[in-house]
Amino acid sequence: MIVFIARRLVISFFVLLAATFIIFVLTAFAGDPLEDLRQDNSPQKLTKIAERSERMQLDVPVVLRYLGWLGRIVRGDLGVNRDGQAIAPILSDALSATLQLVLAATVLAITVGIVIGIISALRQYSGFDYTVTFAAFICFSLPLFWVAVMLKQYVAIEFNNWLKDPVIPPVVIGALALLGGLVFGALTVGDRRRRLVAFAVGLVVSGTLFTVLSVTRWFADPGLGTPLILAFGLATAVGFTALTAGLQYRGPLYATLAAAVIGAVCSQVLGPVLADPTWLEIGGLLLLTIAVCLGLGYALGGLQRRQAMTAATLTGVFTGAMVFLDRMLQAFSAYSASVRHRPVSTIGARTPNYQGDFWQTGLDSAGHLLLPTMALILISLATYTRFSRASMLEVMNQDYVRTARAKGLPERTVVLKHAFRNGLIPVTTMMAFDLAGVIGGAVVTENVFGWRGMGFMFTKGLQEVDPGPVMAFFLVTGTTVVVFNMIADILYAYLDPRIRLS
Amino acid sequence: MFHARTSGKFLVAVAGGALLLSACAGTDSASKPTTSGSAAASSSSGAAKTITFAFDQEFSSYNGNTGAENASRNNLPLQRVLTGFWYYGGDGTVTPDKDFGTYEKISDDPLKVKYTINPAAVWSDGTPIDCDDLMLAWAANSGKIKGFSTAGTTGYELTDVPNCEKGGKEITHTYSEPFGDWAGALYSVGQVMPAQVVEKKGGLSEDEFIEAVKKKDAKKLADAIKFYNDGWVMKGQLLSEDLIPSSGPYKLSKFDAGQSLTFVANDKYWGPKPQVQTVVERFIALDQQAQALQNGEVNIAVPQPGPDVLNQLNALEGVTVKTGPQYFYDHLDFNLDSSPFKDRTLREAFAKCVPRQLIVDNLIKPLNPNAAILQTRLVASVQPNYADVVNGIGGEDKKYDQVDIEGAKALLEKAGKTGLEVKIGYQSPNPRRTSVAQLISDSCNKAGFKIKDNGDENFFGNGLTNNTYDVALFGWIGSDLISGSTSTYTSPSKCDSEHKGNNNGCYSNKKVDELLKKVNATTDKAAQTPLVAEAEKIMWQDLATIPLYENPNLTAWSEGVNNVIPNPTQAGISWNMDKWTIE
Repeated sequence: MIVFIARRLVISFFVLLAATFIIFVLTAFAGDPLEDLRQDNSPQKLTKIAERSERMQLDVPVVLRYLGWLGRIVRGDLGVNRDGQAIAPILSDALSATLQLVLAATVLAITVGIVIGIISALRQYSGFDYTVTFAAFICFSLPLFWVAVMLKQYVAIEFNNWLKDPVIPPVVIGALALLGGLVFGALTVGDRRRRLVAFAVGLVVSGTLFTVLSVTRWFADPGLGTPLILAFGLATAVGFTALTAGLQYRGPLYATLAAAVIGAVCSQVLGPVLADPTWLEIGGLLLLTIAVCLGLGYALGGLQRRQAMTAATLTGVFTGAMVFLDRMLQAFSAYSASVRHRPVSTIGARTPNYQGDFWQTGLDSAGHLLLPTMALILISLATYTRFSRASMLEVMNQDYVRTARAKGLPERTVVLKHAFRNGLIPVTTMMAFDLAGVIGGAVVTENVFGWRGMGFMFTKGLQEVDPGPVMAFFLVTGTTVVVFNMIADILYAYLDPRIRLS
Repeated sequence: MFHARTSGKFLVAVAGGALLLSACAGTDSASKPTTSGSAAASSSSGAAKTITFAFDQEFSSYNGNTGAENASRNNLPLQRVLTGFWYYGGDGTVTPDKDFGTYEKISDDPLKVKYTINPAAVWSDGTPIDCDDLMLAWAANSGKIKGFSTAGTTGYELTDVPNCEKGGKEITHTYSEPFGDWAGALYSVGQVMPAQVVEKKGGLSEDEFIEAVKKKDAKKLADAIKFYNDGWVMKGQLLSEDLIPSSGPYKLSKFDAGQSLTFVANDKYWGPKPQVQTVVERFIALDQQAQALQNGEVNIAVPQPGPDVLNQLNALEGVTVKTGPQYFYDHLDFNLDSSPFKDRTLREAFAKCVPRQLIVDNLIKPLNPNAAILQTRLVASVQPNYADVVNGIGGEDKKYDQVDIEGAKALLEKAGKTGLEVKIGYQSPNPRRTSVAQLISDSCNKAGFKIKDNGDENFFGNGLTNNTYDVALFGWIGSDLISGSTSTYTSPSKCDSEHKGNNNGCYSNKKVDELLKKVNATTDKAAQTPLVAEAEKIMWQDLATIPLYENPNLTAWSEGVNNVIPNPTQAGISWNMDKWTIE
């Protein structure tokens, strides 16, 4: 393994070196770095041109300029851009903006995409599968800049207007109820009667839910409350147990249920701690949760100890997330009032000079992240869904899956242990590329939503024919691509025992 | 098919269970009493004291006077932070800032101007504003001390070293020759930088600094020069407070890289206090500003003018939309050096078929209903003497207001050049100029020209400098100052890229040279008008260039915001931000 990594790193280093040369030369030849000054009609045009030419060393041949740049990089100096601003702080700002912007979106897109993809593979040719396929293709073909404008209009501006008096019109409730019914119906497999029952249940459940939300004006002052947290927690407990250990064993189920109950109780007990925490404290609480849940799994798991520990931890973290969400929602009405009742933003990374407690600043970030995250998810979700569906379908038809079934293994074990892990291998490749790609910045998204991230830095550098920022951008993204590809290779070995790295 | 049945049951059980539980519990949590009210009210009233405006370019340096940083991104936000003896007012004319100090012409021959700084004037760090600050501006912008980076020496280069004594509030400049723009040349807004900071960074005392400038001792000033050139460039965040003292109603309080710049009232400012305590500039791309305004994230937006944006803004309730001209006009330049248009007859034929009125009606009026054909090159339509200058042209310009296809045809035939190919060069992509070229093409082809659209991404870098066009279509940024544009129409010593300067087509007329020189030396503003008119008249007779239209600007602000006055110059919207109010 170490030999493999070392060999990969040495090769990658030379590849990167060659690439920097190519990128540098291409950037330097990408246009006229003095273009804007040539349009200048001030008497000082020539002085300005001379000054910039000197700073950018335009009188030096490109190869020599590249060597100079290389020499500075070796000494750890990223240099200055064409206006004399140091590139290092620009790069760090851009990188942090991009990470904030794309990290949540990418993780969400991967998780949700894979889950939907697998469900639709398990329900091949069902209504759900067709709907997912149809929606995936629509999302796939949406132009991002258009999506962005629509999101701004409807999810930000119109939604903010609606929030002033958050009553859902009966027609909309009807439509949402119908949608809920259809989802339930589509997910159900069986004869017509079963599907109709599922449809009716879905219709009633979602109809009631939205009516209640509307009547109580929940959106004006949202929150979950301990009973709902408990309910969600117990439901997840059952779900995770079913997925990891199966419901026939009591031990794991007790462990997860206990985790859910403790989590819900904590939402009451931890009041003072959660009044205005820091991220450090939240991290500490997360670690504590994991420790407690591992203990629960260990103690109550019985024969299914390992599965119980996994399930309990997942349940505990999920319940903790619900508590977190509940707190944040409770801060919503105060936050909304402090931004003139327009909580969803169309532009920028934060409200300038916003001051509030942990939850309010968190909401401020969330309000600014909502639209770009939605836009990014809409597009990349489709890819992940299609990809994981295809690979899952392929695996499900393999001989060893049939063998596993023939052995009499429960469906859960067949799907999760034998099929899912192997189905993930092709998706991993894509994830590696995708993660490296998102560091490069979502150029359109950044531009439309006013985030000055890596993509903005790159396009600006290119438009100004200024190799400095472009090279800084390339160093970061190039290195990420190399590293992530290596991680993908190592993950292969973990996911597929047949692959050996050295 | 695999065991769909069992896993189906299981999925339904989980999903259904979760939803049912959530529906039941939803009632509980939703019925809890709402707990908002007083906190919300107080924070919203606090937020109301802030005005936020949008601008598309990110602030980068506290010193907008160096060659690299002289750009709207710096000069616009600093309008009311670093004040000076004069600024461009709401009509774009040179306006003295009486709060900063006064200046007057005390003699005509030689031209002497006396500057007196307001005795109460003080930097926000407590240091009085006195003549060493002016010395710094002079040292940096006169070009007489090597090493300082400057964006323009106009005016300064004609003056001598200021007669400054430590702590003095008065200086007098003697010009080496008469200078028409004396009132709008030295110590403008943004030019007077805090000398105490430069002195400290340069390791000099105030006396040493004054002495060094008087001796033009670049060596002694080396560290000071280095700081002046690069020390005020932002490095990811706002520089420390002692480096950026303010001399205006606002000072900078926070710079959030890539996002916003925050101004707070400067409590040391001696003039009228600003109306609003906090102003925020947010960096927002032009095409995103309208929706940001609609969503209440900015109070003032200056989007790219376009019919769609205008309709969108007009549809918003409570939003005031204002359009107007800019000091930025598009024109047609003939290549008088190496194209058939050396022949005046052909220029006249071309001028007769250019549909100037149609261009204004189709492309500019939808954005600025009051737009009209621009008749002059040296003054803008918002300037007070525009009407007088147009009168002085004596109708030469009016000859080309209306299209005269027959006349153009006859002239072309007379010259024997029917079917002449004309390459119109401009920087692309630029939809408006592409449309202009199309309209010209439609009209002039009827007269017997063959118009070729030569829009090129590298037009400024290549076409314009090497004269590979017949007619060039581009824009000039004008100003209230005459000295800025005279060199554009003065005969070049030699017609090549090195010597022609801004006179791209190499227009040359001894009479115009003489008149422009005279205007530049006329210190009485009113006396300049007839000279300008005379020069314009000759340039119309020569058809040196054809001015077309002034580019429109567009400003919109939300309900409750008052005293926003768009400025047609590069000073931009923020020139009077201390007068803005919000209800």
